[in-house]
Amino acid sequence: MTKNQRLVYIALLAAQAVIISLLERAIPFPFAIAPGAKLGLANIITCMALYTLPLKDAGKVVAIRLVLATLLGGTISTFMYSAAGAVLSFFGMLAVKKLGASRISLIGVSTTGAVLHNIGQLTVASWIAQTWTVLLYLPVLAFIGILSGIAIGVAANYLLTHIEKLNYYMALRELR
Amino acid sequence: MKAFLRVLKTGDLVIITVLISVSFLPFAVFYMQQSQNTNTDHEAVISVDNEEVKHITLTEHEGTDVFDISKFEDEINTIEVVDGRIRIKSATCPDQVCVRTGYISEPGETIVCLPHKLIVEVHTTNEDTEADIISS
Repeated sequence: MTKNQRLVYIALLAAQAVIISLLERAIPFPFAIAPGAKLGLANIITCMALYTLPLKDAGKVVAIRLVLATLLGGTISTFMYSAAGAVLSFFGMLAVKKLGASRISLIGVSTTGAVLHNIGQLTVASWIAQTWTVLLYLPVLAFIGILSGIAIGVAANYLLTHIEKLNYYMALRELR
Repeated sequence: MKAFLRVLKTGDLVIITVLISVSFLPFAVFYMQQSQNTNTDHEAVISVDNEEVKHITLTEHEGTDVFDISKFEDEINTIEVVDGRIRIKSATCPDQVCVRTGYISEPGETIVCLPHKLIVEVHTTNEDTEADIISS
């Protein structure tokens, strides 16, 4: 992958992630039992970035997505929540992925990402609210996070195996 | 389902189990704390911007109380207390998460309205609680 191709690929992934998270905001979430829960569809892109790009560039994708999604319809407080969640889940996913593809599939990686995102958000929320009892809400969020994480792991797995051009680019990376 | 099983590896199941148990960790800590506290009187504490605004005793509360909490002019949360349960009936915040949380009554439950920095918490009443009730 040449430098320009990589730049374009990073930009493409970041743009898709931003659009997905904006669209996701427009979907009213049907679970009345868990206010504040989200599907976390943008996690598909983070998984793709982790599996197809070197660590530094995957980090760039996440950072660009975070800043742009905030600028296009967030506030300072939503930025703080999503930043804490994104950073924590990015490193968690990285650590889980390091365990090796023979033991962990995309499902494990994306559920880790989802739950760590919730943990990060609730930690910031309880820090802002100055009461750690906010964390008692974690099981509800984590349950939905695990379910959506499994679904997103399967979806990202489909994406990885079915996009032929992606294989081409990954082969290019190995040549370098 | 077939696709799911083909992707799934044993490591994933281990990770999911670990994540579920981690998510119940705050509960474990909380009940350890609660078991040392034998008092069963519940009270709700409403605070805005880390300042306590109102205490309500929930135990033996009867009937319906409705009142507004508005620290800043256009940030109004209407709170309703019905028979020992408390909820935010309506709010002027953009996300309405606090309203959808619904009623709470057990110690440790919270309603958080982050845009207004408002928290409703249910505690067990301690005897050594200082009796400074600040009403707005």
